[in-house]
Amino acid sequence: MIRKPNYLSLFTTLILFVGFPATAHHNGATYFDISTELEHSDATVVSYDLVNPHGRLVYVFMDDEGNEVEWRAELPSANNARRRGLSGDLFQPGDKLTTLSGSPSRSGANFMRLTRVVFANGDVAQITGRNAGIVRAGIE
Amino acid sequence: MNPVGRIALIVTVTAVAVHFTGVAYAQADFEGIWNPQHPPRMGQPDPASVRLTPEGQAEYESYGPEKDPTLRCLMPGIPLGLVDPYPIEIVQQDHQILLLYEHFHQVRRIFMDGREAPDHWLPSIGGYSTGHWEGETLVVRTTLMSPDNYTWTNGFPYSGDEDAYVIERYRRDGDELTFTGEVHDPRYYEEPYVVNGRWNFAPDGEIWEYECIPEFGGIQ
Repeated sequence: MIRKPNYLSLFTTLILFVGFPATAHHNGATYFDISTELEHSDATVVSYDLVNPHGRLVYVFMDDEGNEVEWRAELPSANNARRRGLSGDLFQPGDKLTTLSGSPSRSGANFMRLTRVVFANGDVAQITGRNAGIVRAGIE
Repeated sequence: MNPVGRIALIVTVTAVAVHFTGVAYAQADFEGIWNPQHPPRMGQPDPASVRLTPEGQAEYESYGPEKDPTLRCLMPGIPLGLVDPYPIEIVQQDHQILLLYEHFHQVRRIFMDGREAPDHWLPSIGGYSTGHWEGETLVVRTTLMSPDNYTWTNGFPYSGDEDAYVIERYRRDGDELTFTGEVHDPRYYEEPYVVNGRWNFAPDGEIWEYECIPEFGGIQ
């Protein structure tokens, strides 16, 4: 089940902090291959911690060979994420995610810098960039 | 004493007092909370434009995430910490200006009373900062920063040598505060490394707590 964000508080937060860059200060290209975008489909959330210096989402999905694999995704710091309405309860263990997109770690580990998540109900969480925030399904 | 003489006396006494106390009275009002609006790449230069010395190049190429202090929940130095995407609060006093950063709860004291770094001051990530006004521009000089400092999280290094220092210039234009930082480090750079930052005045802004957990900083 996908937990729905509190849209009233989200809207208020977005109004207050529009224009605030929702990104870590780190140069992502140093640690991640930002020229490449990965997309994982039909994933299940294992855990989610929204902390500083970076948030972390752990999830599993079936690879092309039908094996369950576990990946970790880095999110912005808790402070920056919360200012854009990406709250600490955005993901719950067991939640189903339609797609996750991001840049792979240069180390080759099952680890990426998360940029976008599509929930089963069609809502979209834009994780990085100046347009970071939640877009509800059906609303432009 | 006639009025003209009285005014002249007051002006003279004030000038003498300022001279001997060394207090550099504020020429511009930076007080308050400021939200970041930094240029692309957080105001850092294009890596291709940075002219490293051979020794600087070798240090740059040896960089890895294990050397990034912020990933271990250690505060960044100057100028890396200046252009983080977090608000700052500025408090102006006669003898010092306080820069209070949300990021890592960092506090900087910019001494404005003419003092110099004492002999016992040990090198640290934040170093020792003194400032003065050039018209409405605040000029800050920071020395005694350790080699644990990095100018940017892609690994551009800082030697911590005695002749290495950073000059910051802050200027307010309406509700916008801009800054330019120059890293002078001849061991590692052929010419100063320059960064730019910008903040917008945020009278309703907030400084949040920034607790940090090192195990979530690791790059895998």
